[in-house]
Amino acid sequence: MKTPDIMIGLEVHIQLDTKTKLFCSCSTKAHAPNTSVCPVCLGHPGSKPVLNKKTVEFGVMLGLALNCDILPAINFSRKTYFYPDMSKNYQITQYEVPLAQKGKIALDSGKEISISRLHLEEDPASLEHKDEFSLVDYNRSGIPLIELVTEPVMNTPDEAREFMKKLLGILRYLKIFDMTEGTVKADANVSIKESNFSRVEIKNITGFREIERAIEYEVQRQREAVKKNEKIVRETRGWDAPQGITRPQRLKETEEDYGYIFDPDLVTISITAAFKKSVAEKLPELPVKKSARFVKQFKIDAVDSQVISADPEVAAMFEEVAKKANPILSAHWIRRELLKILSTKSLAESKITSQHLAELFILIDKKAITQRTGQEIMQKLGEKPFSPKDFVEKHGLSAVADSHELEKLCADAVKENPSAVKDYLAGEEKAFNFLVGKVMAKTKGRARPDIITPIIKKLVKK
Amino acid sequence: MNIREFLSNAKKGSIDVKEHSAKVLQELKKINKEYFYLNAMAESPGFGRGKISGLPISVKDCLCVKGMESTAGSAILKGYVPLFDATAVERCRKDGAFILGKTAQDEFGFGSFNANVGNGFKIPLNPIDKNRVCGGSSGGAAGLAKKASFPHVALAESTGGSIVAPAAFCGVVGMCPTYGRVSRYGLIDYANSLDKIGPIAQSVEDTAFILELIAGHDIKDSTSSTEKVDSYISALSKGIKGKTIGILEEGFGEGVDPALAKRVKDAISKLESLGAKTARISLPLNSKYSLESYYVLATAEASTNLAKYCGMRYGAHENLHGSFNEYFTEVRSKNLGPEAKRRILLGTFARMAGYSAKFYSKAGKVRTLIIDEYKKAFKKVDLIASPTMPIIAPTFDEVKKLTPLQQYKMDLLTVGPNLAGLPHISVPCGDVKGMPVGLQLIADHFNESLLFSAGGSYENS
Amino acid sequence: MKIDQETIERVAANARLQLTPLEKKQYLKDLQDILSAFEKLAECNTDKVQTSIQPIPLSDVFRDDIEKECLSQDDALSLTKHSKNGYFKGPKAL
Repeated sequence: MKTPDIMIGLEVHIQLDTKTKLFCSCSTKAHAPNTSVCPVCLGHPGSKPVLNKKTVEFGVMLGLALNCDILPAINFSRKTYFYPDMSKNYQITQYEVPLAQKGKIALDSGKEISISRLHLEEDPASLEHKDEFSLVDYNRSGIPLIELVTEPVMNTPDEAREFMKKLLGILRYLKIFDMTEGTVKADANVSIKESNFSRVEIKNITGFREIERAIEYEVQRQREAVKKNEKIVRETRGWDAPQGITRPQRLKETEEDYGYIFDPDLVTISITAAFKKSVAEKLPELPVKKSARFVKQFKIDAVDSQVISADPEVAAMFEEVAKKANPILSAHWIRRELLKILSTKSLAESKITSQHLAELFILIDKKAITQRTGQEIMQKLGEKPFSPKDFVEKHGLSAVADSHELEKLCADAVKENPSAVKDYLAGEEKAFNFLVGKVMAKTKGRARPDIITPIIKKLVKK
Repeated sequence: MNIREFLSNAKKGSIDVKEHSAKVLQELKKINKEYFYLNAMAESPGFGRGKISGLPISVKDCLCVKGMESTAGSAILKGYVPLFDATAVERCRKDGAFILGKTAQDEFGFGSFNANVGNGFKIPLNPIDKNRVCGGSSGGAAGLAKKASFPHVALAESTGGSIVAPAAFCGVVGMCPTYGRVSRYGLIDYANSLDKIGPIAQSVEDTAFILELIAGHDIKDSTSSTEKVDSYISALSKGIKGKTIGILEEGFGEGVDPALAKRVKDAISKLESLGAKTARISLPLNSKYSLESYYVLATAEASTNLAKYCGMRYGAHENLHGSFNEYFTEVRSKNLGPEAKRRILLGTFARMAGYSAKFYSKAGKVRTLIIDEYKKAFKKVDLIASPTMPIIAPTFDEVKKLTPLQQYKMDLLTVGPNLAGLPHISVPCGDVKGMPVGLQLIADHFNESLLFSAGGSYENS
Repeated sequence: MKIDQETIERVAANARLQLTPLEKKQYLKDLQDILSAFEKLAECNTDKVQTSIQPIPLSDVFRDDIEKECLSQDDALSLTKHSKNGYFKGPKAL
């Protein structure tokens, strides 16, 4: 097998959407600083951790969704290091034995990205850097995280971005992650062939678009360094999103030795076959399966299916709409037009229902309105939903199919634009589209291009 | 006057509990001036209504008492006033106990003589001979239990022997229950898999009374046991007829003062006369490896527990200057005592990459084997007997001459049950050169009742 | 067991302890002495033996995902003078 040019691995931290923290009963949703804290998450001497059952359930759900092996017994460990955001100067995490291992996520190309492990750990507090001191808010201290580590098998920044997108899609389906308030952070390790794959770690990248940017920058930086005969040092760098660069973090003389021990305040947790089964039963139909089913059941385009299956609400919307309107067309229009709207607001916020969409798609399907009219209506639906059927009637937007009327308008357009006619006859295709555009303008977009095209052609030939 | 008598007198009205409490506080202040048993004292006699209303209870400084400075004997926790009671304290308080104050201890429990006190703390003096140590790490608790003329139980704590050792040196009863029997919530950790809370008092009966009160499951401590709490008070009078006492071979050999050993052998004979049988028992793995296994695990865990002390959120602070590493290092270096530093270094080393397998992981596995060895022994005998300590309470000068390793080796008879989480009791059984000697009895997990039966029989004979 | 000054310094740094030259010397001696005793554990055959995280077999202790009352901001900040506007103040972190 050919050696890749770039090797990329990701370590992703996902904040779990539980009501309370990993080891104490403080709420995970607080706003004013230090208002959701207790002796446990403040690391007060004498306090002791008690494990939140829901976090194990969520961890097993994600492990199963990612095709992992779930370990039958798990323990927690102490990772000791000193930093102002640590409430105990050790983090309770899992080291020797993770919750799940050997999973995978398939990219659209079919390439499988191996997930080496997945485990539970607690978040440190949030830290704000001031000049001479730092400000610490322990609301975040103890929030449950899942850490997920991939093998370094991604070979382009785009693959990394796609991996993250697929992962987020799965998280949305499982409902274990708060899409609005929750954070997903990733560390990326990047190495290039030219340096013999000397690994650089980029820490704390937020959002999957930033991941692609950061990796792209880093690959470029490393290549330029190699060209200048600089050595690529194994180091940790931070991603500066506003500046768009990675910069070296504190170079440690020796790597911090975390001195892992099992946490003796916590006990072994058994993950029985019965428990796994009960969790598996609660799993929703996930994107890969759903997409395949849509294609089989509705005969829709594979790419359309993949895109709409990525989001559970969009997929559910599609299935509703497909009961009433042409599924192939519906899938196509949902993918192209609805998703544009969803880039600025959620489906719930838009208040668009399957009825709205079904009505519209039926009109388009029957050719009762033109594509352009259809697009305009979609746009308006995004602002405030209404009945497309009523709207078309009220504003007289039906497609103009009356050939007499169209013949007249085409003739007018040809007469009014002689130079365009001349250009077209001289061989310029663009001039023809110009003429079509003129007729569309006269009809406010209601003319059907498939009807006026032959008319114009005939007129021009005369 | 023991607890039973105190409560009966209070009920009858022959004692005015309020007046009594005021007198107790006065006596406490006097004792403390001379013997340094307390790091903090109640300012006024305060207690609620309940089963033990007005009963004086002292609390080892490592157990959190809400509103009372709790330092675990360390300068680094000066100023730490907990916002909650330890569960064991709460259970006493809600039944009306009069919480006297926080008793002196070795810093974080790091010692067998209570001579390793934190910077600025005073070393408590043996109640019988002021030139000698109290024993540790619950020195203040044992000293006060002996010295106080009022009915009193000291809540103490043991990691490697810190309940029974000072009890033996001070001539009182120390009872250390099974690991997990009493909730550790609110206990400032030394080593989480080894720490246990238990009572020290002048009688076996009093320790049984208090243990019944504080034992039992606590949802706030993941390692607390759901085993039902027996009636320890009724166990006191059950006797030990037909029970077999295993006389620990290694407990009477090299390193043990022969005169002391004789006292203990006499005490065992006494128990025989009360109906017990005896047998010889040997625990070779325990005698070879329990000390080392204990110190590796205890220091490894302790080094992580003490990482949180760095001048943030509570306890000793400095002015915020320098980088965080500089600040943390300054606070810790200034406020931790030499033994604390030594154990942090040992523990950090024992779990460092490259050494962890050889020390930390190894010690955990050796512990499993030692527990198995005890379990096998308890198939043959019901109790294991030995002296609690190999010597009588040494003088301060004698202690100064010991190297750290020699100090650790003083725990040779107490580490075994502590490492294995087994319940054990020390009962005074005579003296040598005027200094008390303790008989140590060990029982199987959750068999505290048998210890109370044996101790109770011995006490009443 | 032989360990050198550099090791003591590394361990001390890891534990955020600043040792005086005298302390380094003393602790080096102490640690060598004590670690040599610890090395005895190697003589014990522990093949196929499971480690004991606690001395009593314990497993499966959980808490339900139900919110309970927590500390007020005032109480949380009450134990230190290093606070500002509801935040804890800590040393410089960069």
